Amino acid sequence: MTFTMDTNRDCARAWEAMPSVLQESASSEQNAWLMDHLAHCQSCSEDYAQQERLRLALSLPADIPVDPAVGLKRLLARLDAPVPKPVVQRVRNGWLTRALAAAVLLQALAIGALGARYWSESNNPAYRTLSQASAPVPAGALHVVPDATMTLADWNALLHSLNLQVVGGPNDVGAYTVVPSGAPATGAPTLQKLRATRGIRLAEPVASVP
Amino acid sequence: MNEADLQADATDRMLLERMAAGDRAALGVMYRGYHGRLCRFLSRLTRRPDVIEEVINDCFWIAWQKAGTFHGDSRVSTWIMGIAYRCGLKALRQHGDEPVDEDTVPQERLPSHDPGDDRELRDWLGKGLEKLSVDQRVVIELVYGVGHSLDDVAVIMQCPVGTVKARLFHARVKLRNVLPALAGEPARLKEGAP
Repeated sequence: MTFTMDTNRDCARAWEAMPSVLQESASSEQNAWLMDHLAHCQSCSEDYAQQERLRLALSLPADIPVDPAVGLKRLLARLDAPVPKPVVQRVRNGWLTRALAAAVLLQALAIGALGARYWSESNNPAYRTLSQASAPVPAGALHVVPDATMTLADWNALLHSLNLQVVGGPNDVGAYTVVPSGAPATGAPTLQKLRATRGIRLAEPVASVP
Repeated sequence: MNEADLQADATDRMLLERMAAGDRAALGVMYRGYHGRLCRFLSRLTRRPDVIEEVINDCFWIAWQKAGTFHGDSRVSTWIMGIAYRCGLKALRQHGDEPVDEDTVPQERLPSHDPGDDRELRDWLGKGLEKLSVDQRVVIELVYGVGHSLDDVAVIMQCPVGTVKARLFHARVKLRNVLPALAGEPARLKEGAP
Protein backbone atom coordinates (compact mmCIF):
# COMPACT_ATOMS: atom_id res chain seq x y z
CA MET A 1 0.00 0.00 0.00
CA THR A 2 1.25 3.48 -0.74
CA PHE A 3 0.55 7.07 0.11
CA THR A 4 -0.72 9.05 -2.80
CA MET A 5 0.83 12.36 -1.75
CA ASP A 6 3.96 11.54 0.18
CA THR A 7 5.56 8.36 -0.89
CA ASN A 8 9.11 9.01 0.13
CA ARG A 9 10.76 7.09 2.88
CA ASP A 10 10.97 10.04 5.27
CA CYS A 11 7.21 10.39 5.30
CA ALA A 12 6.79 6.68 5.97
CA ARG A 13 9.34 6.98 8.79
CA ALA A 14 7.49 9.98 10.17
CA TRP A 15 4.19 8.06 10.06
CA GLU A 16 5.84 5.20 11.96
CA ALA A 17 7.31 7.51 14.60
CA MET A 18 4.19 9.55 15.39
CA PRO A 19 2.59 7.24 18.01
CA SER A 20 5.72 6.94 20.17
CA VAL A 21 6.40 10.68 19.93
CA LEU A 22 2.81 11.44 20.92
CA GLN A 23 3.16 8.97 23.80
CA GLU A 24 6.35 10.77 24.81
CA SER A 25 8.13 7.41 24.77
CA ALA A 26 10.33 8.17 21.76
CA SER A 27 14.04 8.92 22.12
CA SER A 28 15.11 12.54 22.00
CA GLU A 29 16.82 11.91 18.64
CA GLN A 30 13.66 10.41 17.16
CA ASN A 31 11.63 13.26 18.56
CA ALA A 32 13.98 15.89 17.13
CA TRP A 33 14.07 14.17 13.74
CA LEU A 34 10.27 14.10 13.49
CA MET A 35 9.92 17.77 14.48
CA ASP A 36 12.48 18.68 11.84
CA HIS A 37 10.63 16.65 9.21
CA LEU A 38 7.27 18.15 10.14
CA ALA A 39 8.73 21.65 9.74
CA HIS A 40 9.46 20.85 6.09
CA CYS A 41 6.57 18.52 5.17
CA GLN A 42 3.09 20.02 5.04
CA SER A 43 1.33 16.66 4.59
CA CYS A 44 3.01 14.98 7.56
CA SER A 45 2.47 18.10 9.60
CA GLU A 46 -1.28 17.87 8.93
CA ASP A 47 -1.18 14.16 9.78
CA TYR A 48 0.57 14.87 13.04
CA ALA A 49 -1.93 17.58 13.93
CA GLN A 50 -4.75 15.12 13.32
CA GLN A 51 -3.02 12.48 15.45
CA GLU A 52 -2.58 15.02 18.24
CA ARG A 53 -6.26 15.85 18.07
CA LEU A 54 -7.08 12.15 18.08
CA ARG A 55 -4.99 11.62 21.19
CA LEU A 56 -6.63 14.61 22.87
CA ALA A 57 -10.11 13.27 22.05
CA LEU A 58 -9.20 9.81 23.32
CA SER A 59 -7.90 11.23 26.59
CA LEU A 60 -11.24 12.83 27.46
CA PRO A 61 -13.03 11.08 30.33
CA ALA A 62 -15.76 8.62 29.40
CA ASP A 63 -19.03 10.28 28.48
CA ILE A 64 -21.01 7.34 29.85
CA PRO A 65 -21.53 7.98 33.55
CA VAL A 66 -20.97 4.90 35.71
CA ASP A 67 -20.86 5.58 39.44
CA PRO A 68 -17.78 3.89 41.00
CA ALA A 69 -19.27 3.96 44.49
CA VAL A 70 -22.38 2.06 43.38
CA GLY A 71 -20.30 -0.41 41.39
CA LEU A 72 -17.90 -1.07 44.27
CA LYS A 73 -20.81 -1.60 46.67
CA ARG A 74 -22.25 -4.21 44.31
CA LEU A 75 -18.86 -5.88 43.94
CA LEU A 76 -18.38 -6.15 47.71
CA ALA A 77 -21.89 -7.57 48.05
CA ARG A 78 -21.01 -10.11 45.38
CA LEU A 79 -17.91 -11.16 47.33
CA ASP A 80 -20.11 -11.87 50.35
CA ALA A 81 -22.83 -13.68 48.43
CA PRO A 82 -22.73 -17.47 48.43
CA VAL A 83 -21.86 -19.00 45.12
CA PRO A 84 -24.69 -21.35 44.16
CA LYS A 85 -23.13 -22.35 40.88
CA PRO A 86 -20.86 -25.13 42.19
CA VAL A 87 -23.82 -26.70 44.01
CA VAL A 88 -25.87 -26.80 40.83
CA GLN A 89 -22.87 -28.14 39.02
CA ARG A 90 -22.37 -30.84 41.63
CA VAL A 91 -26.01 -31.99 41.39
CA ARG A 92 -25.87 -32.07 37.64
CA ASN A 93 -22.53 -33.86 37.73
CA GLY A 94 -23.91 -36.45 40.20
CA TRP A 95 -26.88 -37.25 37.98
CA LEU A 96 -24.66 -37.39 34.94
CA THR A 97 -22.15 -39.65 36.67
CA ARG A 98 -24.87 -42.07 37.75
CA ALA A 99 -26.31 -42.19 34.24
CA LEU A 100 -22.90 -42.81 32.73
CA ALA A 101 -22.14 -45.54 35.29
CA ALA A 102 -25.46 -47.25 34.48
CA ALA A 103 -24.70 -47.07 30.78
CA VAL A 104 -21.24 -48.57 31.29
CA LEU A 105 -22.70 -51.37 33.47
CA LEU A 106 -25.32 -52.13 30.83
CA GLN A 107 -22.67 -52.29 28.16
CA ALA A 108 -20.53 -54.61 30.29
CA LEU A 109 -23.48 -56.98 30.82
CA ALA A 110 -24.29 -56.98 27.11
CA ILE A 111 -20.68 -57.68 26.19
CA GLY A 112 -20.58 -60.49 28.77
CA ALA A 113 -23.74 -62.09 27.38
CA LEU A 114 -22.44 -61.88 23.81
CA GLY A 115 -19.12 -63.36 24.92
CA ALA A 116 -20.80 -66.31 26.67
CA ARG A 117 -22.90 -67.04 23.62
CA TYR A 118 -19.91 -66.83 21.32
CA TRP A 119 -17.93 -69.14 23.60
CA SER A 120 -20.66 -71.76 23.71
CA GLU A 121 -21.08 -71.65 19.94
CA SER A 122 -17.38 -71.91 19.35
CA ASN A 123 -17.34 -75.31 21.17
CA ASN A 124 -19.74 -76.80 18.64
CA PRO A 125 -18.72 -75.44 15.30
CA ALA A 126 -20.87 -76.13 12.28
CA TYR A 127 -17.83 -77.30 10.35
CA ARG A 128 -14.88 -79.64 10.74
CA THR A 129 -11.37 -79.02 9.57
CA LEU A 130 -9.31 -81.69 7.82
CA SER A 131 -6.86 -81.77 10.71
CA GLN A 132 -9.59 -82.62 13.18
CA ALA A 133 -10.31 -86.27 13.99
CA SER A 134 -13.50 -87.52 12.34
CA ALA A 135 -16.44 -88.61 14.44
CA PRO A 136 -16.04 -92.21 15.75
CA VAL A 137 -17.72 -94.76 13.59
CA PRO A 138 -19.68 -97.49 15.43
CA ALA A 139 -18.41 -101.01 14.90
CA GLY A 140 -20.13 -102.84 12.06
CA ALA A 141 -21.53 -99.70 10.47
CA LEU A 142 -22.58 -99.99 6.84
CA HIS A 143 -23.39 -97.50 4.10
CA VAL A 144 -26.52 -98.51 2.29
CA VAL A 145 -28.07 -96.88 -0.77
CA PRO A 146 -31.63 -98.02 -1.39
CA ASP A 147 -33.17 -97.72 -4.82
CA ALA A 148 -35.56 -94.82 -5.37
CA THR A 149 -38.37 -97.31 -6.16
CA MET A 150 -38.03 -99.10 -2.81
CA THR A 151 -40.99 -98.42 -0.56
CA LEU A 152 -40.60 -97.30 2.99
CA ALA A 153 -42.38 -100.43 4.19
CA ASP A 154 -39.91 -102.70 2.33
CA TRP A 155 -36.98 -100.62 3.72
CA ASN A 156 -38.30 -100.90 7.24
CA ALA A 157 -38.95 -104.63 6.87
CA LEU A 158 -35.43 -105.20 5.58
CA LEU A 159 -33.85 -103.31 8.45
CA HIS A 160 -36.02 -105.20 10.91
CA SER A 161 -35.15 -108.57 9.45
CA LEU A 162 -31.44 -107.86 9.61
CA ASN A 163 -31.58 -106.16 13.05
CA LEU A 164 -30.26 -102.91 11.66
CA GLN A 165 -31.07 -99.35 12.57
CA VAL A 166 -30.36 -96.10 10.78
CA VAL A 167 -27.93 -93.81 12.60
CA GLY A 168 -27.25 -91.32 9.82
CA GLY A 169 -28.19 -90.16 6.36
CA PRO A 170 -29.30 -89.94 3.80
CA ASN A 171 -26.25 -87.96 2.65
CA ASP A 172 -25.77 -86.10 -0.62
CA VAL A 173 -25.74 -89.33 -2.64
CA GLY A 174 -28.69 -90.88 -0.78
CA ALA A 175 -26.62 -93.23 1.44
CA TYR A 176 -27.82 -94.24 4.90
CA THR A 177 -25.51 -95.28 7.72
CA VAL A 178 -26.88 -98.32 9.49
CA VAL A 179 -25.55 -100.25 12.45
CA PRO A 180 -26.63 -103.54 14.02
CA SER A 181 -29.18 -103.07 16.78
CA GLY A 182 -28.84 -105.18 19.87
CA ALA A 183 -26.15 -107.86 19.78
CA PRO A 184 -23.60 -107.17 17.12
CA ALA A 185 -24.00 -109.48 14.23
CA THR A 186 -21.32 -110.74 12.02
CA GLY A 187 -20.69 -108.19 9.29
CA ALA A 188 -20.24 -110.42 6.25
CA PRO A 189 -23.62 -112.24 6.18
CA THR A 190 -25.50 -109.01 6.78
CA LEU A 191 -23.58 -107.30 4.04
CA GLN A 192 -24.19 -110.16 1.63
CA LYS A 193 -27.90 -110.23 2.48
CA LEU A 194 -28.17 -106.53 1.85
CA ARG A 195 -26.41 -106.78 -1.47
CA ALA A 196 -28.65 -109.66 -2.43
CA THR A 197 -31.81 -107.82 -1.56
CA ARG A 198 -33.74 -106.41 -4.44
CA GLY A 199 -33.96 -102.64 -4.23
CA ILE A 200 -30.54 -102.12 -2.61
CA ARG A 201 -28.22 -100.49 -5.03
CA LEU A 202 -25.13 -100.39 -2.82
CA ALA A 203 -24.02 -101.77 0.53
CA GLU A 204 -20.50 -101.18 1.78
CA PRO A 205 -18.87 -101.38 5.21
CA VAL A 206 -17.80 -98.01 6.61
CA ALA A 207 -14.05 -97.71 6.72
CA SER A 208 -12.87 -96.35 10.05
CA VAL A 209 -9.89 -94.58 8.44
CA PRO A 210 -10.31 -92.79 5.14
CA MET B 1 8.51 3.21 31.20
CA ASN B 2 9.05 6.54 32.97
CA GLU B 3 9.47 7.21 36.68
CA ALA B 4 5.78 7.91 37.21
CA ASP B 5 4.84 4.59 35.59
CA LEU B 6 7.32 2.71 37.78
CA GLN B 7 5.95 4.38 40.90
CA ALA B 8 2.36 3.62 39.91
CA ASP B 9 3.21 -0.02 39.23
CA ALA B 10 4.95 -0.37 42.60
CA THR B 11 1.81 0.97 44.30
CA ASP B 12 -0.39 -1.41 42.30
CA ARG B 13 1.77 -4.39 43.29
CA MET B 14 1.50 -3.46 46.93
CA LEU B 15 -2.29 -3.18 46.62
CA LEU B 16 -2.44 -6.53 44.83
CA GLU B 17 -0.46 -8.21 47.61
CA ARG B 18 -2.89 -6.82 50.16
CA MET B 19 -5.81 -8.04 48.04
CA ALA B 20 -4.27 -11.51 47.94
CA ALA B 21 -4.30 -11.41 51.74
CA GLY B 22 -8.02 -10.53 51.72
CA ASP B 23 -7.74 -6.76 52.28
CA ARG B 24 -10.96 -5.27 50.91
CA ALA B 25 -9.78 -1.72 51.50
CA ALA B 26 -6.97 -2.38 48.99
CA LEU B 27 -9.57 -3.68 46.55
CA GLY B 28 -11.54 -0.44 47.00
CA VAL B 29 -8.45 1.69 46.30
CA MET B 30 -7.60 -0.33 43.23
CA TYR B 31 -11.22 -0.24 42.02
CA ARG B 32 -11.49 3.54 42.28
CA GLY B 33 -8.03 4.03 40.77
CA TYR B 34 -8.85 2.05 37.63
CA HIS B 35 -12.52 2.92 37.30
CA GLY B 36 -12.06 5.97 35.08
CA ARG B 37 -9.71 4.40 32.53
CA LEU B 38 -11.72 1.17 32.45
CA CYS B 39 -14.93 3.12 31.85
CA ARG B 40 -13.37 4.94 28.92
CA PHE B 41 -11.74 1.78 27.56
CA LEU B 42 -14.99 -0.19 27.74
CA SER B 43 -16.99 2.70 26.27
CA ARG B 44 -15.10 1.91 23.03
CA LEU B 45 -16.78 -1.52 23.10
CA THR B 46 -20.29 -0.70 24.28
CA ARG B 47 -22.42 2.35 25.05
CA ARG B 48 -24.44 0.59 27.76
CA PRO B 49 -23.55 1.80 31.28
CA ASP B 50 -25.02 -1.32 32.88
CA VAL B 51 -22.78 -3.54 30.77
CA ILE B 52 -19.74 -1.37 31.52
CA GLU B 53 -20.36 -1.65 35.25
CA GLU B 54 -20.91 -5.40 34.93
CA VAL B 55 -17.62 -5.82 33.04
CA ILE B 56 -15.66 -3.72 35.54
CA ASN B 57 -17.07 -5.77 38.41
CA ASP B 58 -16.33 -9.04 36.58
CA CYS B 59 -12.79 -7.78 36.03
CA PHE B 60 -12.19 -6.96 39.70
CA TRP B 61 -13.94 -10.14 40.80
CA ILE B 62 -11.32 -12.08 38.84
CA ALA B 63 -8.51 -9.79 40.05
CA TRP B 64 -9.64 -10.43 43.65
CA GLN B 65 -9.68 -14.20 43.10
CA LYS B 66 -6.38 -14.31 41.19
CA ALA B 67 -4.40 -11.65 43.05
CA GLY B 68 -2.24 -14.29 44.69
CA THR B 69 -1.30 -15.83 41.33
CA PHE B 70 0.08 -12.60 39.83
CA HIS B 71 3.78 -13.26 39.25
CA GLY B 72 4.79 -9.84 37.95
CA ASP B 73 5.47 -10.89 34.37
CA SER B 74 3.92 -7.60 33.27
CA ARG B 75 2.80 -4.35 34.85
CA VAL B 76 -0.28 -4.67 37.05
CA SER B 77 -2.10 -2.21 34.79
CA THR B 78 -1.39 -4.44 31.77
CA TRP B 79 -2.73 -7.44 33.70
CA ILE B 80 -5.88 -5.58 34.75
CA MET B 81 -6.53 -4.25 31.25
CA GLY B 82 -6.09 -7.74 29.82
CA ILE B 83 -8.72 -9.12 32.18
CA ALA B 84 -11.04 -6.22 31.35
CA TYR B 85 -10.53 -6.78 27.62
CA ARG B 86 -11.48 -10.45 27.85
CA CYS B 87 -14.46 -9.71 30.11
CA GLY B 88 -15.51 -6.99 27.66
CA LEU B 89 -15.41 -9.36 24.69
CA LYS B 90 -17.44 -11.90 26.67
CA ALA B 91 -20.02 -9.22 27.51
CA LEU B 92 -20.18 -8.22 23.85
CA ARG B 93 -20.99 -11.80 22.93
CA GLN B 94 -23.69 -11.94 25.58
CA HIS B 95 -25.25 -8.51 25.15
CA GLY B 96 -24.23 -7.46 21.65
CA ASP B 97 -22.57 -4.12 20.95
CA GLU B 98 -25.68 -2.18 20.08
CA PRO B 99 -25.54 1.30 21.58
CA VAL B 100 -28.17 1.97 24.18
CA ASP B 101 -30.84 4.58 23.43
CA GLU B 102 -29.68 7.85 24.99
CA ASP B 103 -33.24 8.52 26.16
CA THR B 104 -33.03 5.56 28.50
CA VAL B 105 -30.09 7.08 30.41
CA PRO B 106 -31.41 8.96 33.44
CA GLN B 107 -30.80 12.67 33.14
CA GLU B 108 -29.14 12.89 36.53
CA ARG B 109 -26.52 10.44 35.34
CA LEU B 110 -25.50 12.50 32.32
CA PRO B 111 -22.43 14.69 32.78
CA SER B 112 -23.39 17.99 34.34
CA HIS B 113 -20.69 19.83 32.49
CA ASP B 114 -19.61 19.11 28.94
CA PRO B 115 -18.01 22.15 27.31
CA GLY B 116 -18.86 22.75 23.69
CA ASP B 117 -15.29 22.04 22.53
CA ASP B 118 -15.28 18.66 24.26
CA ARG B 119 -18.65 17.77 22.79
CA GLU B 120 -17.44 18.64 19.33
CA LEU B 121 -14.27 16.61 19.86
CA ARG B 122 -16.27 13.64 21.14
CA ASP B 123 -18.58 13.76 18.12
CA TRP B 124 -15.59 13.95 15.78
CA LEU B 125 -13.94 11.00 17.51
CA GLY B 126 -17.15 9.00 17.76
CA LYS B 127 -17.85 9.26 14.04
CA GLY B 128 -14.30 8.17 13.29
CA LEU B 129 -14.34 5.21 15.67
CA GLU B 130 -17.60 4.02 14.13
CA LYS B 131 -15.61 3.16 11.03
CA LEU B 132 -13.20 0.90 12.91
CA SER B 133 -13.51 -2.73 13.92
CA VAL B 134 -13.68 -3.60 17.62
CA ASP B 135 -10.03 -4.70 17.67
CA GLN B 136 -8.91 -1.52 15.90
CA ARG B 137 -10.86 0.63 18.39
CA VAL B 138 -9.27 -1.26 21.29
CA VAL B 139 -5.75 -0.79 19.93
CA ILE B 140 -6.30 2.94 19.27
CA GLU B 141 -7.67 3.40 22.79
CA LEU B 142 -4.87 1.45 24.46
CA VAL B 143 -2.08 3.22 22.55
CA TYR B 144 -3.41 6.77 22.24
CA GLY B 145 -5.86 6.88 25.12
CA VAL B 146 -4.20 4.84 27.87
CA GLY B 147 -0.64 5.17 26.57
CA HIS B 148 0.37 1.50 26.54
CA SER B 149 3.34 0.37 24.47
CA LEU B 150 2.75 -2.00 21.57
CA ASP B 151 4.31 -4.82 23.63
CA ASP B 152 1.85 -4.15 26.45
CA VAL B 153 -1.07 -4.13 24.00
CA ALA B 154 0.09 -7.48 22.62
CA VAL B 155 0.01 -8.91 26.16
CA ILE B 156 -3.43 -7.42 26.82
CA MET B 157 -4.93 -8.73 23.58
CA GLN B 158 -2.95 -11.99 23.73
CA CYS B 159 -1.67 -11.68 20.18
CA PRO B 160 1.70 -11.07 18.46
CA VAL B 161 3.14 -7.55 18.41
CA GLY B 162 2.99 -7.67 14.63
CA THR B 163 -0.77 -8.07 14.80
CA VAL B 164 -1.02 -5.05 17.08
CA LYS B 165 1.10 -3.01 14.69
CA ALA B 166 -1.10 -4.02 11.76
CA ARG B 167 -4.30 -3.14 13.63
CA LEU B 168 -2.89 0.24 14.69
CA PHE B 169 -1.66 0.95 11.19
CA HIS B 170 -4.98 0.20 9.53
CA ALA B 171 -6.93 2.07 12.20
CA ARG B 172 -4.78 5.18 11.73
CA VAL B 173 -5.09 5.03 7.96
CA LYS B 174 -8.84 4.64 8.16
CA LEU B 175 -9.13 7.57 10.55
CA ARG B 176 -6.76 9.59 8.37
CA ASN B 177 -9.18 9.15 5.49
CA VAL B 178 -12.40 9.63 7.41
CA LEU B 179 -11.75 12.36 9.96
CA PRO B 180 -10.92 15.26 7.59
CA ALA B 181 -14.13 14.62 5.69
CA LEU B 182 -16.07 14.75 8.94
CA ALA B 183 -14.56 18.16 9.61
CA GLY B 184 -15.62 19.34 6.15
CA GLU B 185 -12.16 18.96 4.62
CA PRO B 186 -11.51 16.97 1.46
CA ALA B 187 -9.98 13.58 2.07
CA ARG B 188 -6.24 13.78 1.47
CA LEU B 189 -5.86 10.11 0.85
CA LYS B 190 -7.48 8.72 -2.23
CA GLU B 191 -7.08 5.14 -3.22
CA GLY B 192 -4.26 2.75 -2.41
CA ALA B 193 -4.10 3.81 1.21
CA PRO B 194 -1.10 2.57 3.21
